[in-house]
Amino acid sequence: MKLASSKSVAADVHIRQRPTLAGRSSREALFWIAPAALVILFIFGYSVVSVLIQSFRYDGDWVGFENFAIVITDPLFLTALKHNGLLLLAVPVLIVLAFTLAITLFETRAGMRFYRSAIFLPYVLPIPVVAVVFGQIYQLHGALNIFLKSVGLDSLAKDWLGDPQIALGTMSSVIIWKEVGFGVILMLAHIISLPNETYEAARIDGAGFWRTHLSITRPAILNTIIFYGVIEAITMVSWVFNYVYVMSNGLGGPGNATMVSELYIYRSAFQNKAPELAAAAAVFLFIATLVLMIAFFRIQRRSIAGTFNR
Amino acid sequence: MRSKKIFAIGAVALSLLLGACSSSTDNASESETTEEAAFPTEDLTLNISWWGEQEAPGAQKWLEESMALYSKEHPNVTIKHVLQTTDGLIPSFEAAAAAQSGPDIQYFWGGIYSQQPGWDGHIAPISDYLSEDELSHYINAKVESGFQGKVWTAPWYVNPSFPLLVRKDILADNGLAVPTNWDELMKVCDALSAKKITTIAGGVKDGWFGGWIYSILGAQSVQSQADVINAVVGTTKFTDPEHATWWTKLEESKNRKCWNDDINSLELYQAQQKFVDGKAAMTITAGPDAPNFVKKAGGDEKVTIMAMPAWSDGPLAGKMGTTSQTLGITKWSKYPQVAADFIKFTHTTERLNAWYAATGSMPADDRFDISQVQSASTKALFESALNGAPYLENFIPAQLDADAVFKNVQLVLKGSVKAADAAADMQAVMERLRKSDRKLVDNFTAWAK
Repeated sequence: MKLASSKSVAADVHIRQRPTLAGRSSREALFWIAPAALVILFIFGYSVVSVLIQSFRYDGDWVGFENFAIVITDPLFLTALKHNGLLLLAVPVLIVLAFTLAITLFETRAGMRFYRSAIFLPYVLPIPVVAVVFGQIYQLHGALNIFLKSVGLDSLAKDWLGDPQIALGTMSSVIIWKEVGFGVILMLAHIISLPNETYEAARIDGAGFWRTHLSITRPAILNTIIFYGVIEAITMVSWVFNYVYVMSNGLGGPGNATMVSELYIYRSAFQNKAPELAAAAAVFLFIATLVLMIAFFRIQRRSIAGTFNR
Repeated sequence: MRSKKIFAIGAVALSLLLGACSSSTDNASESETTEEAAFPTEDLTLNISWWGEQEAPGAQKWLEESMALYSKEHPNVTIKHVLQTTDGLIPSFEAAAAAQSGPDIQYFWGGIYSQQPGWDGHIAPISDYLSEDELSHYINAKVESGFQGKVWTAPWYVNPSFPLLVRKDILADNGLAVPTNWDELMKVCDALSAKKITTIAGGVKDGWFGGWIYSILGAQSVQSQADVINAVVGTTKFTDPEHATWWTKLEESKNRKCWNDDINSLELYQAQQKFVDGKAAMTITAGPDAPNFVKKAGGDEKVTIMAMPAWSDGPLAGKMGTTSQTLGITKWSKYPQVAADFIKFTHTTERLNAWYAATGSMPADDRFDISQVQSASTKALFESALNGAPYLENFIPAQLDADAVFKNVQLVLKGSVKAADAAADMQAVMERLRKSDRKLVDNFTAWAK
C-alpha cells in the first residue's frame, strides 16, 4: 500500500513534470542522431584539428604563424586565390542559366523528361572523363576549332587551354557545362511543386512569360536559388581540383593561368613535400568556405523570416 | 721504471692493434651481414612501385620475368608490382611515406629525385645492403645518388638525356642537311617553317618537356652541375649569364618557328607522334625510347640520333646528358636485404642482356656488353651516354623545376613572357624556395660536398 501510494505520487510528479512534446521530441532526436553525429564529429573534427596543429609546426617544431606568413606572401597562392575568386563569377552565370533552363523546361512540358535527362547527364559524368574529353576538344587543332574553321569563323579559333589569357575562362566553361544540370533539376523540382492556381491567375491577369517567372517563380523558389548559389560558390572555392588537375596535367598551367587553391595545397603536400604549408593553405581555404556557409545560413534565415513576415 | 714505461706503451700499442684488428674484423663481418645476411626462410612478399614502361616499352614484361625467375630461385619470396603514371609516381610515394607503409622497392628518377627521399628519411641507402664493388658497376650511382659517402638508390637503366631525333629523309626532301650547330638548326627552322613543316615536335602541356629543354639547352653554358647547385644555394643567381642565356635561345627558337604551333595544348607523347607520322623533322625523346622511335620512323636509313646542336663552346655543349633511373629500398620495408638481393639479381649478366632485348635500351651497368648492339644509332647513343654530361634538371629542386622551369617554358613558347623575365622569375622562385624549404640550402650544400 505504502509502495503503491509512493508510486502514485511519483507518477503524479512525473505527469506534472512531463516535458512538452516539442522538448521531448528534440531530446529524442538528439539521442537518435548522437551516434552518427559523434562519428562525423570525430572524422571531421580530428582532421580539422590535426590540420590546424600541422599548420603551426615545421619538422615537428612549433613555429607559430611562420607557415601562414610563408603561404600568404607566396605569389603563387595569391594567384590561386585570385583564380578561385574569378571562378566565383561563374556562379551568377550558372544561376541565370539554370533558372532560364528550368522555366523553359517547365513551360515546354512536351519531351520534358528527355530534355531533363539530357541537361542532367553532364552532372553525373565523372569529372576526369569530362576533363579529358574537353581537353581534346579544346586543343589548338581540336574539334571545336575544326568546327569553327569549317563554318568560316577562323578568327574565333583559339588555343583554348594553351593560351594563358583565356585558359581559366575555358576551364570555367567546362565547369558551367557540367554544373548547370544540378541547378536545373533543383529549381525545376521546386517549380513543379508550386500551386498551379497562382500561374493561372497571373495568366488571366495578362502576365507574360518573363513577368510570370520573374514575379512569381523567382521569389517562390528563392531559397532553392540561394542554396544552389552557395553550393556552387563553395564548388568554385574548394571543389574544382579535379577539373584543373586533369585538364592542366596537375600543373595549373599554362604558366599559372589555371592554378587554384586546392591544387596549390595538393602540390605543396604531395609534390613539394611541404605538408605544413599545405596545412596552412588549407586553413585559409577552410576559413573562406566557412565564411560562405555562414553567409548562406544568414541569407537563408533572413529570406525565411521575410517570407513569414509577408 | 723505464721497462715499465716500455711495457705500458707496448700494452697500449698491442691493445690498439688488437682493437683495430677486431674492429676491422667486425666491419668485415658487418659488411658481410648486410649483403649476405641470413636470407629469410619464411614466406614473404615484396611490393614494387615503379614507372618506366612509358619511356622504355617492354620494361613491364622484363620486370615480370625477373620477378618470376627470382621467385623460382627463392620460392618463399613473392613479388608484386604496381606501374605508376607519370603524374602519380611522386604523389603516390609521398602518400606511402606519410603513412610509413607501402612498397618495399620504389622507383626514383635520378639526382634530386633520389636524393630528396633520402634526406627526408624515407629510404635506406642501397649502399648499406650492396657492396661498394657491386655498386661501382652501376652507371651514375655516385654522381646522382651519392650523398656523403653513401648511395641512396641503385641505378636500373640509363636514360641518355635527351637525344634529338632527326629525320634525314624530311631534311633531304627539302634540300637540307642535318644541322651540326645552333645557327644551322635555326636556318633549318627558317626553311621548314616557310614550307609550313614543323621542325621540332614537342608538347609542354604536361610540363615535363620544359625540364628536358632546360637541361639540354641550359647545360651548354655551365661548367658542371656544381654551377647549378651554387645557384640553388644562392652563391650565384639564375639571372647570371651562365644560367640565363639559354632562355634567350629558347625564345629565339620560338621566334624562328622551330616548334609545332600547338606545343602548349599537347602533351609530350601526343606531340612526338607527329615525328613518327612524318609531320615533323625532329623531336626530342627519352633516351630509352629513342631506339623504338628510330624503328617506328623507318630505321637508321631515315633517322639519326644526336645531341642538341651546340649554341656555346662550354665544356658540356654538344654532349648528350646522362642520367640513370633508379630503384630504392623504403625505410619501412621489413625485408630490405631481400629487396637489395632482388635489385642485385636484376644486374646479373643474363638479366642485363634480357633488359636490352626487351626494351632496346641500356641497362645501368658497365658490365653490359655493348658489342651486342647492332644498330649504329643505338650504339652511338649508348656510348654518348657513357661519356655524357650531367643532366641538369636532376640537380635543381623539383619544385623549382615545376614552378619556374615548366611554367616559364610554357610562357616563353607561347610568347607571353620574354627570356629575361623568365630568368628573373626563376631567380625569384628560387629565392622564395630557400625561405619556404628551410632545409634546402643545408641539404644541397651537403650534397655538393
